[in-house]
Amino acid sequence: MTLSGGLSRPGERDRPIIKFMEIDWTLCLVLCLIAGTGALMLFSIAGGSWEPWADKHLLRFGVYFVMMIILAMVDLRVWFSLAYPIYGVGLLLLVAVALVGDSSLGAQRWLVLGPVRFQPSEVMKIGVVLALARYYHGLSADSARLSWKLLIPAVLIGMPVLLVAHQPDLGTAMLIALPGLAVMVLAGLSLRLIIVGMVGALAALPPFIFFVLHDYQRNRILTFMDPEKDPSGDGYHIMQSKIALGSGGLMGKGFGLGSQSQLNFLPEKQTDFIFATLAEEFGFIGCFSVLFLYGVAIFMALRIASISHSHFGRLSAAGVTATFALYVLINGAMVMGMAPVVGVPMPMLSYGGTVMLTVMVGFGLVQAVRVHRYTEVTSGKGSLM
Amino acid sequence: MSEPSIFFFEVNERQGVFHRRAFLMGGLAGGGLLALGGRLAQLQLVEARRYQKLSAGNQFNYRLMPPPRGLILDRNGVALASNRPNFRLMVTKESKDFDVEATLDDLALLVPIDGTRRARLIKDIARAPRKAPVAVMEDMTWEEFSRVNIRAPELPGVTADMGEVRVYPFGGAFAHVIGYVAKVSDRDLEKAKSDPTQDQDLLHHPGFRIGKQGVEKALDRELRGRPGATKAEVDAQGRVVRLDPEGDIPPTPGKEVRLTLDADIQNRALEVMGDESGAIVVMDIRNGDLLAMVSAPSFDANRFVKGLSGPEYKALAEYERKPLLDKALSGNFPPGSTFKPTVGLAALTAGIDPEVRVNCGGSWYYGGRTWRCWEKGGHGSQNMHEAIKNSCDIYFYQTSLKIGPDAIATAARAMGFGETFDIGIPGQKKGLVPDRAWKKRANKKNPANQIWFPGETPSYGIGQGALSVNALQLAVMTARLANSKKALNPRLIKSVGGVEQPSGAAVPDLPFSQEHLTYVRGGMEAVANDVRGTAYRQSQLGLGDVKMAGKTGTAQVRSYDKVANRKSTSVAWRLKDHNLFVAFAPYDDPRYAVAVIIEHGGLGGATAGAPRAREVMRVALLKDPEVRARIERPMPMPEEPVETTPDGSVEGAAPDEPIVGAPPPSPAPATPTVPAPSVPGAPR
Repeated sequence: MTLSGGLSRPGERDRPIIKFMEIDWTLCLVLCLIAGTGALMLFSIAGGSWEPWADKHLLRFGVYFVMMIILAMVDLRVWFSLAYPIYGVGLLLLVAVALVGDSSLGAQRWLVLGPVRFQPSEVMKIGVVLALARYYHGLSADSARLSWKLLIPAVLIGMPVLLVAHQPDLGTAMLIALPGLAVMVLAGLSLRLIIVGMVGALAALPPFIFFVLHDYQRNRILTFMDPEKDPSGDGYHIMQSKIALGSGGLMGKGFGLGSQSQLNFLPEKQTDFIFATLAEEFGFIGCFSVLFLYGVAIFMALRIASISHSHFGRLSAAGVTATFALYVLINGAMVMGMAPVVGVPMPMLSYGGTVMLTVMVGFGLVQAVRVHRYTEVTSGKGSLM
Repeated sequence: MSEPSIFFFEVNERQGVFHRRAFLMGGLAGGGLLALGGRLAQLQLVEARRYQKLSAGNQFNYRLMPPPRGLILDRNGVALASNRPNFRLMVTKESKDFDVEATLDDLALLVPIDGTRRARLIKDIARAPRKAPVAVMEDMTWEEFSRVNIRAPELPGVTADMGEVRVYPFGGAFAHVIGYVAKVSDRDLEKAKSDPTQDQDLLHHPGFRIGKQGVEKALDRELRGRPGATKAEVDAQGRVVRLDPEGDIPPTPGKEVRLTLDADIQNRALEVMGDESGAIVVMDIRNGDLLAMVSAPSFDANRFVKGLSGPEYKALAEYERKPLLDKALSGNFPPGSTFKPTVGLAALTAGIDPEVRVNCGGSWYYGGRTWRCWEKGGHGSQNMHEAIKNSCDIYFYQTSLKIGPDAIATAARAMGFGETFDIGIPGQKKGLVPDRAWKKRANKKNPANQIWFPGETPSYGIGQGALSVNALQLAVMTARLANSKKALNPRLIKSVGGVEQPSGAAVPDLPFSQEHLTYVRGGMEAVANDVRGTAYRQSQLGLGDVKMAGKTGTAQVRSYDKVANRKSTSVAWRLKDHNLFVAFAPYDDPRYAVAVIIEHGGLGGATAGAPRAREVMRVALLKDPEVRARIERPMPMPEEPVETTPDGSVEGAAPDEPIVGAPPPSPAPATPTVPAPSVPGAPR
């Protein structure tokens, strides 16, 4: 924006140095602050030690950060052309997992390729958004509102969601389905259809909970409804998390002084419940600051989406932002006892490579959309109008 | 355009829709974040206090520290019940995933835990409520204790501490009076459950013992004290991370209880009982203080503190001489001839002239049967003084007939028979003082038996029949008789927590005239000091002019009509007569009363009862500084030492009775030391 004079020259924006400078460094700073806070908490939880979490957390973030910068410079047209292949590969991997996947912790999520173990479902969190953005890029406003052509995005979302839900991993399925639906809504889905869909989903919820879910999933939801019913069983996690949060008070117990996390009362304190540790040690002020940072990141990413000149750029950036926002909201609600316990970590704050990778790839895409906001993306088939 | 564009006037309709909806999505995300912020405010600002409390409850753990139990002392401050250190190993179920098996496996490497013990521990731990420690081992050696203590931080739920355990230094001598403490039973817990004043946590503590008998039971709550707590920081697995001594709450020790008993007299009393079964009660005549209250045979109360094994308990419970029974308070016996002074008083009060003589020919025909005197040949002509001295049955048969049962009962009640005294411990049986009203009450279903038959009165007159008394009542009777006119109540608890308990002297006077009391006492003096008295030989104290007065008694346990020889030594123990003796001394200045009951001790109070009463009395007298000064004061005697007879016996002592001479005279009545007089020979 600031370099408007020279940048109007054709080809000028394709120079790597210009691209590099076009990256939204404020957003990068926000991400660094969040990841840094995460490292600080991991340091505290380990009893004031870089090992075993804080050092790896920072190292990973550094690597992924560099990767994000590189992805930001990848031409949006390349992203565009790779959208369907990425989705296709992701879908194939999901099928492979369903057939030969390694089950750890009771769910078939992992695919083992030699020494590498990874979760194909993570690929699909980006893949579905890319594929939908690509599809809507060539779709007219009327068709996006209400037409038979909407069956295709429905199938694009439905296939991976069903495969992931079958694993069973309801949290991830939700994190694939909801951003996908968000892209559909952003692309102009009929309001009437949205309302009908929401009412239908609400009506389908109780039978879904009682007939489709596994016992442990159902228990988590029932426990969430009444955590005091079994304070030493399923309700334990929620109760201890609330105690950690509440006991932090306004200012917190102080760095490294959170008794709930330091004495192991808090479960999964370094991953899913790291926000509770933060709340205990830094209190309301610390929590509010971190939530504010997340809010800033979401706001900036949405703004990048809306200044993009291409529909693909807009939808993909907004879809990725929706994914990120859902992570934050679901984890926050879970830690605060407002949602059942689902395995959704707090992005960038929680220890764990997979989610951080997904989120950083997502922000790489968002940055690419910003860097290439004036790039004309043309698809072979559809027209712009 | 299907939707009107408000904010953007762009050519691209899709962009317009996107912008509006992205704005909406941003709003949703922002709203969601605000909702989280609101929830944070609710938890961290509004409800913070509640969660801080819960967090502290997680973080800190108060471990109960049982209070040291109050000491029980004798009148001179000698500890009768105290506490000794006990190294103890305990296990607590701190968290729900506590692994009992693994913990016991670990502990078995440090201390010996065999198979049966292990099985019982697993059961105990399973039954114990969460967070209530269970004792794995008591009385560890120092080596075991330190070994466990070093490893304890790594073993969740395991603690080794130094507690205290009750100890009774005199073993069995005070077992019936003091009782004992033992593990809290399920019944105790059940009873305490509905009592809000009971500390449930304390009751569940493995180191806590509850008073089960005697003083330990009666004053349990006073002796108990209030528990304290140690504050410790624990992690989610229940491991102690750090101790916080500043947060400790110190326990309040139990109150100290001082008894009126004297350990020396009590010990001597149990000692002289030997293998016999029975009771000895010693009372201070001036104030009612009980100086000794012994029931024999006794048992070692320390065994009960640890928990008695089944066979051990069975042996105690099934032994014929009933060591577990407190015979001083709950053993009721017919008083036999020891009742005669009371009958004498009743007769004097009824207006009988004591000088009216009754002729004793050894037997007397009345009401269709022959009433015999214990002296087959008869005592000849007897007045009341002689009748008491000789314990003449014929005199009292006839005298009691003259005054009737109700007059006897009135006198007996005035002397303390037929009632229980408030001495602070449970278990007294009041016995029975029969009269006409009682006869009517007792035979409600059998009207023919409701009238008092004249034939019942003569037995009553010699302390037989339905009449039954205990050793404490006999001592009270003797003390009241000796104390001129003042009635006395016995007192056992001298002070609780330093607060002096009411004295036993604060009771109304006896309803007898001074003259009559003196007369009856004269008869008792003659029993012990007249050479023809029934207990003359056995009643010589050997303490100079300090003399004893007494009364013998024999109580039949069966009818002798069909038995050829009452004195036969071949009679089985349980068929022998009870042998009783009551005494007070010094007779010219009565201070101490003694009552002795020897269960199935054989015929004649002088044989089994009197020598024992004498030995106990000697200790009581020698411990009294004033009496001792009197004994040891230089006699007004000639220059040369008094001649002793060649066989070494001193004048006044029967040659066939073992006696110990008075301690060598010394001008200063130093600390009363108790000589160890020899135990009298086994009674016939």
